Amino acid sequence: MAVMQGKELRIVGFLCNWCSYGGADTAGVGRFAQPTDLRIVRVPCSGRINPLFILKALTSGADGVLVSGCHPRDCHYAEGNYYARRRLEVMRGLLPVLGIDPGRFEYTWVSASEGQRWQHVVEEFTKQIHALGPIGRFPDAPELASLGLGAG
Amino acid sequence: MSDRSFTPAFISFKALSGWLRALAQKATVHAPRREGRAVVYRELGDGQGLESFLRPTESAKHVLFPRSEALFSFQRQGEAAGAASGKIRLQEPEGEGPAIIFGALSCDARGFLSFDPVYDGCGTAQAVGGIAKDPYYLRRRANTSIIVRACKSALNTCFCHWVGGGPASTEGADLLATDLEGGLLLSPCSEAGAALLEHPDCVPALPEQIAAAAALHAAAERSLGEAPPAGELAASRAALLALFENSEFWQRQSAQCLSCGACTYLCPTCYCFNITDESNGIAGARLRSWDSCMSALFTLEASGHNPRAAKAARLKNRVGHKFSYYPAIHEGRFSCCGCGRCIKSCPSSVDIRKIVLAAIKEAAHV
Amino acid sequence: MAIEQELQAAVKAALPELDCIIGWGPGPDALRDAPLFLRDAADADVLRAGFFSVNNPALFLPEYKGRKIGVLVKGCDARSVGQLLLEGLVRREDLFVIGFPCSGVIDAGKAAALIADRCEAGELRSVREQGDSIVLEGPDGAFSLAKKDVRADKCERCLFPNAMDADLFVGEKRAPFAELDEYADLAAFEQAPLEERMAFWEKEMSRCIRCYACRDACPLCVCRDQCVAVARDPHWLSQADGIRDKLFFQIIHASHLAGRCTGCGECERACPMGIPVLLLKRALSRRVETLFAYRAGIDMQGRPPLLTFSLEEPRIKERDW
Repeated sequence: MAVMQGKELRIVGFLCNWCSYGGADTAGVGRFAQPTDLRIVRVPCSGRINPLFILKALTSGADGVLVSGCHPRDCHYAEGNYYARRRLEVMRGLLPVLGIDPGRFEYTWVSASEGQRWQHVVEEFTKQIHALGPIGRFPDAPELASLGLGAG
Repeated sequence: MSDRSFTPAFISFKALSGWLRALAQKATVHAPRREGRAVVYRELGDGQGLESFLRPTESAKHVLFPRSEALFSFQRQGEAAGAASGKIRLQEPEGEGPAIIFGALSCDARGFLSFDPVYDGCGTAQAVGGIAKDPYYLRRRANTSIIVRACKSALNTCFCHWVGGGPASTEGADLLATDLEGGLLLSPCSEAGAALLEHPDCVPALPEQIAAAAALHAAAERSLGEAPPAGELAASRAALLALFENSEFWQRQSAQCLSCGACTYLCPTCYCFNITDESNGIAGARLRSWDSCMSALFTLEASGHNPRAAKAARLKNRVGHKFSYYPAIHEGRFSCCGCGRCIKSCPSSVDIRKIVLAAIKEAAHV
Repeated sequence: MAIEQELQAAVKAALPELDCIIGWGPGPDALRDAPLFLRDAADADVLRAGFFSVNNPALFLPEYKGRKIGVLVKGCDARSVGQLLLEGLVRREDLFVIGFPCSGVIDAGKAAALIADRCEAGELRSVREQGDSIVLEGPDGAFSLAKKDVRADKCERCLFPNAMDADLFVGEKRAPFAELDEYADLAAFEQAPLEERMAFWEKEMSRCIRCYACRDACPLCVCRDQCVAVARDPHWLSQADGIRDKLFFQIIHASHLAGRCTGCGECERACPMGIPVLLLKRALSRRVETLFAYRAGIDMQGRPPLLTFSLEEPRIKERDW
C-alpha cells in the first residue's frame, strides 16, 4: 500500500463503542487491509469526547486525530453524536490559530456494519496525514527533557 | 560588606556588550530584555540593547529558584520494571555552572535576603541543628553574582524605602551599576563583584563619575513617595496578628482580589513551592515547582478540608506572612523588598501598602 | 465629568437598598482605576467611570449570588452579565445594573509604549480625560495623547458600547465605532504560515509564569478553585515549566469559553507578561458565530449553542468521505 511505503506516522482514533469500534472490528474480521498508523482509543460515545482529547493528542505529538461515532439519528444514547458534532466543529476553529493544519483532524460516522467504509476512511485519512507529514512540536519542559522524560 | 575597600570602574556603553559576552564565557549571564509588553530575564545573546535601563516585569528569583526543577529522576530497573518489587534507580540532576544576573533592581537583590534564612536551615536550628539546608538553592546562591542596576527614579508603586531598601541599595548585590553619560559606573560590593571587573574595558572610574553617581542615587531616592515612619510600620507585626480573626476586615480588603498568583510569582521574596512526581511509563522525576498561597490548592488537605478556602483567608496569609509571621522569626526583617510588582502587575490593583496601613490603623482602634 | 457626577448621585440613591455597589475608584497608578466596592454613601465621591475604568466588574457577581448588589457596567461588562444570567450563574433579581455610555477604555500597554521616550507609566503623576484626548502629567510636565491612539483594540471593534438590560442608564447612548467585528486581527494572523503561527505561540508562551491571572480575571471562568488546570486527576497539565503545558492551559481556557466568551479581553489585559491570549478565544468566537449565528452575552434567546443541537445543522458542512 502506497501509504505504507513512507515512515509510519502517529494517528490517534477516538471511536465510539457502539458503532465505529464495531465498524473497525467488522473491517478486521472481513480482513480489509488498512494502514497501521492508526491507534484506536475506544470511548463509550462520540459525545464522551472532550475536544481537549484531540488538542492534547495533537500538541503531544500525534500527527493526526480521527474521531468516529454513530451516524446521526443512530446514536446509542440518542443524541451524543449531535453534541459531538457541534463541539468538534467548533474546536476545529482553534487549529489554524495554533498553527496546526486543520486537515490533521477529521470526524466521521461509521456504523458497526460498515467495515468497508471504515477501511476507506482510514485509508483516506492516513493518506491525508502522510501528505501533511509529521506534525510540528512545541518544546518539552527543559527539566523533563534533560532527563529524557519529555512527553511522547 | 563595605564597598569602600573596592575601586569603582567605568565601562562605556560601547564596550558593555563585549564585557558581558566575556563574562558569559565563564558563567550564564541573565539580562533583562523587552519582549512584547514585558521585560523578562533571558540568557545573554549578543549583549546588545542593554545600554538603556530596563525595569524587569518579573523578579530574578527564577535564576536561583527555578519555576520548576527536577530534584531527582527515577526509573524502574531490570526485568521487574513496572512491578512493585523492582529496583528503582535514582539520579540527581546535574547542577548548573556559575551564573550572573545583570541588570537586577536593588530590590531584586534584597529579595534573596528573604530566601536565604529559609533555605539555609532556618527553623530547624533548635530541633535538628540547622541541618535542613536546601542544597539546590544554596548551590545556585553560592554560584551566582548579582549586578544591580541602580534605579534612576521610582515608580508610584515602588516602596523599597519602607522596608529598608533604596533605589541604589547594595544589600545583597555584588556589583552596583549606575547609568552615567556614556556608560555605567560599576561599584563592587563584594569580592565576587570586584572579580567581574577584571576586563580591559573596565577602566578606573574618575572622581567626578563617582560623584555624579552619588548625585543620581540621591535624586532617585527623592523621587520615592513618602514612607510611613519606620516605627509605625513595625506595628504591622502585632496588628496583623490582632486582626487574624477579623474576617470582616479581610473580606473588605480582599473584595477586589482575583486570587490569582501574579503577585506571588512576580514577587522577589515569595519562596513557596510544591513537590510533585511526574512520570511517564517506568521513568519520572520529582519536581519542585513554584506554588502560591493565593491558590486554593495551596492549603487543601487530603481529607478535603481547606483551612483557607476563601480568598480573604489567602490574602490575609500573604500579607500576614510578609509583614508579621516572617519578621517574627527572622529578626524583624519583612519578607517584602518593596519592589511593588504585586501592585504594578495586579490585574485588579490590589495594593499591599494600603492593606498593611489599614491593618495597623484598624488594630489601633480595637 | 458630568456623567461621573450623575453616576455618583445615582449610586448614592441606590445604595440603601443594596449590599454594595461595584464600580471603579482611584487605582495605584494614574493609567488605571481600581475596582471599587461601595458600601457607604461617602465612598461614592471617589467613584469613577470613564476611560480608565478598565476592569470588568461582572467578574465579581457570582461571589455575591443571593445578595442584592449594584454593578456599574460598560457595554462589554454588560455582555458578561448577560452571559452569566443566561447560564444561571447570577440571578437578575439580585442585580441592580447601572449603565452608562462607554467611549472605550485605555490599553495601558499602548499608552506606556507611546510615552516610553518621556517616562514610564508608573512615573505619571496624574492623568485626566479631555474630550478626545487624555492629558498626562509626567515628571517633566504635561502632555496629551489622542484617545484613539491608546484605546483598547476591543473598543475599536465593540458593537455594544451601551450596556444592555440596565436598570438605570445614565447619559446619552452613543453609536459604536464599528459596525461589524470582522475578526480582521485573526484573519491577519492566519496569513502567516503555520510554522510561524506555532513559533509565535512558542515565543509568547515562553514568558508565561502560570499565575493564572488570565483565568481568574475572566468573568466566565466560574469554576474558580475547582479549575481542571490544577487537578491531578485528570492530569491535563504537568507541573513542569514547559511551553507546551502553558499553551495547553490556554487551549483549555479557550475551549471552556467556546460560545461563552464575550470578548471583554480581561484575560489578556490581566496577563502581567503581556501574552495575547484573547486571540485564541476569538478564534472560537468567530467559529461559533459562523456556525450558529450566536454571539455570547447578546443573543439571549434559547440555549447557548454548545448546550443544545439541531438534527440538521444547516451551516455545518460535514466531510463527504
